[in-house]
Amino acid sequence: MGFYSYLVVSTILFVLGIVAVLARKNIIAILLGLELILNASALNFVTYTRFVNNNIDGHIFALFIIIVAAAEAAVGLAIVLRFFQIRETIHVDDATQLQG
Amino acid sequence: MFDTILFIFAALAAIVGGILTISVKNLMHACVFLLLTLLGVAGLYLTLGADFVGVIQLVVYVGGVVVLMVFAVMLTSGSNAQKVNRFGMVKIPTMGNFRTYTLAGIFAALILMSIIKLYRNVFSMARLEKLPEYYPTVSKIGHSLVSTHVLAFEISSVLLLGALVGAAIISRPKREMR
Repeated sequence: MGFYSYLVVSTILFVLGIVAVLARKNIIAILLGLELILNASALNFVTYTRFVNNNIDGHIFALFIIIVAAAEAAVGLAIVLRFFQIRETIHVDDATQLQG
Repeated sequence: MFDTILFIFAALAAIVGGILTISVKNLMHACVFLLLTLLGVAGLYLTLGADFVGVIQLVVYVGGVVVLMVFAVMLTSGSNAQKVNRFGMVKIPTMGNFRTYTLAGIFAALILMSIIKLYRNVFSMARLEKLPEYYPTVSKIGHSLVSTHVLAFEISSVLLLGALVGAAIISRPKREMR
Protein backbone atom coordinates (compact mmCIF):
# COMPACT_ATOMS: atom_id res chain seq x y z
CA MET A 1 0.00 0.00 0.00
CA GLY A 2 1.11 3.50 -0.70
CA PHE A 3 2.35 6.46 1.18
CA TYR A 4 -1.00 8.21 1.41
CA SER A 5 -2.87 5.39 3.10
CA TYR A 6 -0.41 5.28 5.99
CA LEU A 7 -0.66 9.05 6.36
CA VAL A 8 -4.46 8.82 6.36
CA VAL A 9 -4.37 6.21 9.13
CA SER A 10 -2.00 8.23 11.26
CA THR A 11 -4.03 11.40 10.73
CA ILE A 12 -7.20 9.62 11.82
CA LEU A 13 -5.46 8.29 14.94
CA PHE A 14 -4.11 11.75 15.78
CA VAL A 15 -7.53 13.39 15.44
CA LEU A 16 -9.15 10.67 17.54
CA GLY A 17 -6.54 11.29 20.23
CA ILE A 18 -7.24 15.03 20.15
CA VAL A 19 -10.97 14.32 20.52
CA ALA A 20 -10.29 12.03 23.50
CA VAL A 21 -8.10 14.62 25.22
CA LEU A 22 -10.62 17.41 24.72
CA ALA A 23 -13.91 15.61 25.26
CA ARG A 24 -13.33 13.14 28.04
CA LYS A 25 -13.66 14.15 31.69
CA ASN A 26 -11.75 11.23 33.18
CA ILE A 27 -8.02 11.72 33.65
CA ILE A 28 -7.20 8.14 32.70
CA ALA A 29 -9.21 8.48 29.49
CA ILE A 30 -7.19 11.61 28.70
CA LEU A 31 -4.01 9.56 29.14
CA LEU A 32 -5.44 6.98 26.72
CA GLY A 33 -5.91 9.79 24.19
CA LEU A 34 -2.29 10.84 24.71
CA GLU A 35 -1.16 7.32 23.88
CA LEU A 36 -3.15 7.52 20.63
CA ILE A 37 -1.43 10.79 19.70
CA LEU A 38 2.05 9.43 20.41
CA ASN A 39 1.32 6.32 18.35
CA ALA A 40 0.17 8.43 15.43
CA SER A 41 3.38 10.47 15.48
CA ALA A 42 5.60 7.39 15.68
CA LEU A 43 3.71 5.84 12.77
CA ASN A 44 4.35 9.00 10.77
CA PHE A 45 8.08 8.78 11.45
CA VAL A 46 8.30 5.16 10.31
CA THR A 47 6.19 5.93 7.22
CA TYR A 48 8.44 8.78 6.15
CA THR A 49 11.58 6.78 6.67
CA ARG A 50 10.22 4.02 4.45
CA PHE A 51 8.89 6.14 1.63
CA VAL A 52 11.17 9.18 1.53
CA ASN A 53 14.77 8.45 2.48
CA ASN A 54 14.81 4.76 3.42
CA ASN A 55 17.35 4.80 6.22
CA ILE A 56 16.66 3.86 9.85
CA ASP A 57 16.61 7.28 11.50
CA GLY A 58 12.82 7.15 11.63
CA HIS A 59 12.99 3.80 13.39
CA ILE A 60 15.34 5.28 16.00
CA PHE A 61 12.97 8.20 16.48
CA ALA A 62 9.99 5.87 16.86
CA LEU A 63 11.90 3.90 19.49
CA PHE A 64 12.61 7.04 21.49
CA ILE A 65 8.95 8.07 21.19
CA ILE A 66 7.97 4.69 22.65
CA ILE A 67 10.48 5.15 25.51
CA VAL A 68 9.18 8.63 26.34
CA ALA A 69 5.58 7.38 26.17
CA ALA A 70 6.34 4.59 28.65
CA ALA A 71 7.98 7.03 31.08
CA GLU A 72 5.08 9.46 30.67
CA ALA A 73 2.51 6.74 31.33
CA ALA A 74 4.30 5.59 34.50
CA VAL A 75 4.65 9.06 36.00
CA GLY A 76 1.20 10.20 34.86
CA LEU A 77 -0.55 7.21 36.35
CA ALA A 78 1.42 7.62 39.58
CA ILE A 79 0.21 11.21 39.76
CA VAL A 80 -3.36 10.09 39.05
CA LEU A 81 -3.24 7.47 41.81
CA ARG A 82 -1.81 9.97 44.29
CA PHE A 83 -4.50 12.48 43.35
CA PHE A 84 -7.13 9.82 43.85
CA GLN A 85 -5.72 8.97 47.30
CA ILE A 86 -5.91 12.59 48.38
CA ARG A 87 -9.12 13.86 46.80
CA GLU A 88 -10.96 10.59 45.99
CA THR A 89 -11.86 11.81 42.53
CA ILE A 90 -10.46 11.54 39.03
CA HIS A 91 -12.68 14.19 37.46
CA VAL A 92 -10.40 16.54 35.59
CA ASP A 93 -12.30 19.61 36.79
CA ASP A 94 -11.54 18.70 40.41
CA ALA A 95 -7.81 19.14 39.92
CA THR A 96 -7.77 22.80 40.81
CA GLN A 97 -5.22 22.98 43.63
CA LEU A 98 -1.51 22.40 43.58
CA GLN A 99 -1.37 21.61 47.27
CA GLY A 100 -3.76 19.09 48.73
CA MET B 1 -1.10 -8.73 -2.35
CA PHE B 2 -0.31 -10.17 1.05
CA ASP B 3 0.98 -6.77 2.15
CA THR B 4 -2.27 -5.18 1.05
CA ILE B 5 -4.38 -7.64 3.01
CA LEU B 6 -2.19 -7.20 6.10
CA PHE B 7 -2.36 -3.42 5.76
CA ILE B 8 -6.15 -3.47 5.49
CA PHE B 9 -6.55 -5.63 8.58
CA ALA B 10 -4.07 -3.59 10.62
CA ALA B 11 -5.54 -0.26 9.58
CA LEU B 12 -9.05 -1.44 10.33
CA ALA B 13 -7.95 -2.66 13.77
CA ALA B 14 -6.22 0.65 14.49
CA ILE B 15 -9.06 2.90 13.35
CA VAL B 16 -11.94 0.87 14.80
CA GLY B 17 -10.06 0.52 18.09
CA GLY B 18 -9.40 4.25 18.20
CA ILE B 19 -13.03 5.15 17.52
CA LEU B 20 -14.25 2.75 20.19
CA THR B 21 -11.58 3.99 22.62
CA ILE B 22 -12.93 7.50 22.51
CA SER B 23 -16.61 6.58 22.41
CA VAL B 24 -17.16 3.64 24.75
CA LYS B 25 -18.53 4.31 28.21
CA ASN B 26 -16.72 1.74 30.33
CA LEU B 27 -13.09 2.63 30.95
CA MET B 28 -11.95 -0.97 31.11
CA HIS B 29 -13.44 -1.57 27.68
CA ALA B 30 -11.67 1.58 26.50
CA CYS B 31 -8.36 0.08 27.66
CA VAL B 32 -9.09 -3.12 25.74
CA PHE B 33 -9.91 -1.16 22.59
CA LEU B 34 -6.70 0.84 23.04
CA LEU B 35 -4.99 -2.56 23.06
CA LEU B 36 -6.64 -3.30 19.70
CA THR B 37 -5.35 0.01 18.35
CA LEU B 38 -1.81 -0.71 19.53
CA LEU B 39 -1.88 -4.14 17.92
CA GLY B 40 -3.05 -2.54 14.68
CA VAL B 41 -0.24 0.01 14.79
CA ALA B 42 2.26 -2.80 15.40
CA GLY B 43 0.90 -4.54 12.30
CA LEU B 44 1.34 -1.32 10.33
CA TYR B 45 4.98 -1.16 11.49
CA LEU B 46 5.49 -4.69 10.27
CA THR B 47 4.03 -3.87 6.85
CA LEU B 48 6.42 -0.93 6.68
CA GLY B 49 9.39 -3.24 7.18
CA ALA B 50 10.14 -1.97 10.69
CA ASP B 51 10.38 -5.31 12.44
CA PHE B 52 12.29 -4.14 15.52
CA VAL B 53 9.99 -1.18 16.14
CA GLY B 54 6.94 -3.41 15.74
CA VAL B 55 8.20 -5.93 18.27
CA ILE B 56 9.18 -3.18 20.71
CA GLN B 57 5.71 -1.72 20.28
CA LEU B 58 4.22 -5.08 21.23
CA VAL B 59 6.52 -5.56 24.23
CA VAL B 60 6.38 -2.06 25.69
CA TYR B 61 2.83 -0.98 24.91
CA VAL B 62 0.84 -4.18 24.94
CA GLY B 63 2.87 -5.70 27.77
CA GLY B 64 3.53 -2.63 29.86
CA VAL B 65 1.53 0.51 29.29
CA VAL B 66 -1.89 -1.08 28.86
CA VAL B 67 -1.33 -3.17 31.99
CA LEU B 68 -0.50 0.05 33.86
CA MET B 69 -3.67 1.64 32.51
CA VAL B 70 -5.78 -1.33 33.58
CA PHE B 71 -4.22 -1.21 37.05
CA ALA B 72 -5.00 2.49 37.33
CA VAL B 73 -8.59 1.95 36.23
CA MET B 74 -9.06 -0.85 38.75
CA LEU B 75 -7.48 1.15 41.58
CA THR B 76 -9.53 4.27 40.96
CA SER B 77 -13.00 2.82 40.39
CA GLY B 78 -13.54 1.21 43.73
CA SER B 79 -16.35 1.06 46.21
CA ASN B 80 -16.97 4.77 46.27
CA ALA B 81 -17.71 5.08 42.60
CA GLN B 82 -20.41 7.41 41.30
CA LYS B 83 -20.43 9.76 44.25
CA VAL B 84 -20.68 13.45 43.64
CA ASN B 85 -18.58 16.19 45.15
CA ARG B 86 -19.86 19.42 46.63
CA PHE B 87 -20.32 21.03 43.24
CA GLY B 88 -22.51 18.18 42.03
CA MET B 89 -19.91 16.65 39.74
CA VAL B 90 -19.63 12.89 39.50
CA LYS B 91 -16.29 11.91 41.00
CA ILE B 92 -15.57 9.01 38.67
CA PRO B 93 -16.76 10.32 35.32
CA THR B 94 -17.03 8.06 32.33
CA MET B 95 -17.89 10.30 29.40
CA GLY B 96 -17.82 13.97 28.67
CA ASN B 97 -21.01 15.84 28.03
CA PHE B 98 -22.45 17.29 24.86
CA ARG B 99 -20.54 20.57 25.12
CA THR B 100 -17.15 18.94 25.39
CA TYR B 101 -17.85 16.67 22.43
CA THR B 102 -18.99 19.63 20.35
CA LEU B 103 -15.83 21.55 21.23
CA ALA B 104 -13.68 18.52 20.47
CA GLY B 105 -15.41 18.06 17.12
CA ILE B 106 -14.73 21.68 16.17
CA PHE B 107 -11.08 21.37 17.17
CA ALA B 108 -10.76 18.06 15.36
CA ALA B 109 -12.09 19.61 12.15
CA LEU B 110 -9.67 22.52 12.55
CA ILE B 111 -6.67 20.28 13.12
CA LEU B 112 -7.72 17.99 10.27
CA MET B 113 -7.89 20.92 7.85
CA SER B 114 -4.49 22.25 8.91
CA ILE B 115 -2.92 18.78 8.60
CA ILE B 116 -4.36 18.37 5.11
CA LYS B 117 -2.96 21.76 4.16
CA LEU B 118 0.46 20.61 5.42
CA TYR B 119 0.24 17.31 3.60
CA ARG B 120 -0.31 18.88 0.21
CA ASN B 121 3.32 19.98 0.17
CA VAL B 122 4.51 16.72 1.66
CA PHE B 123 2.92 14.49 -0.96
CA SER B 124 5.43 15.58 -3.59
CA MET B 125 8.28 14.21 -1.43
CA ALA B 126 7.21 10.60 -1.67
CA ARG B 127 9.24 8.16 -3.68
CA LEU B 128 6.57 6.74 -5.89
CA GLU B 129 8.71 4.50 -8.05
CA LYS B 130 9.64 0.98 -7.02
CA LEU B 131 10.19 0.61 -3.32
CA PRO B 132 13.31 -1.09 -1.97
CA GLU B 133 13.04 -4.58 -0.59
CA TYR B 134 12.62 -5.33 3.08
CA TYR B 135 15.77 -5.97 5.01
CA PRO B 136 16.30 -6.85 8.68
CA THR B 137 16.78 -3.71 10.71
CA VAL B 138 17.90 -5.06 14.08
CA SER B 139 21.65 -5.02 13.47
CA LYS B 140 21.53 -1.60 11.83
CA ILE B 141 19.53 -0.18 14.74
CA GLY B 142 21.97 -1.72 17.20
CA HIS B 143 24.99 -0.24 15.46
CA SER B 144 23.26 3.11 15.15
CA LEU B 145 22.28 3.21 18.82
CA VAL B 146 25.85 2.80 20.01
CA SER B 147 27.55 4.95 17.39
CA THR B 148 25.51 7.80 15.98
CA HIS B 149 22.72 8.11 18.49
CA VAL B 150 24.67 7.16 21.61
CA LEU B 151 23.96 10.44 23.43
CA ALA B 152 20.20 10.07 23.03
CA PHE B 153 20.50 6.44 24.12
CA GLU B 154 22.26 7.36 27.37
CA ILE B 155 19.89 10.26 28.05
CA SER B 156 16.94 7.92 27.59
CA SER B 157 18.40 5.58 30.21
CA VAL B 158 18.64 8.49 32.64
CA LEU B 159 15.08 9.47 31.74
CA LEU B 160 13.81 5.96 32.48
CA LEU B 161 15.64 5.89 35.82
CA GLY B 162 14.17 9.27 36.71
CA ALA B 163 10.67 8.13 35.73
CA LEU B 164 11.03 4.97 37.82
CA VAL B 165 12.22 6.83 40.93
CA GLY B 166 9.69 9.60 40.41
CA ALA B 167 6.76 7.22 40.04
CA ALA B 168 7.84 5.33 43.15
CA ILE B 169 8.15 8.53 45.18
CA ILE B 170 4.91 10.08 43.98
CA SER B 171 2.75 7.03 44.56
CA ARG B 172 4.10 5.98 47.94
CA PRO B 173 1.43 5.44 50.61
CA LYS B 174 0.29 8.28 52.76
CA ARG B 175 2.11 8.74 56.03
CA GLU B 176 -0.15 9.31 59.03
CA MET B 177 2.23 11.08 61.42
CA ARG B 178 5.07 13.33 60.50
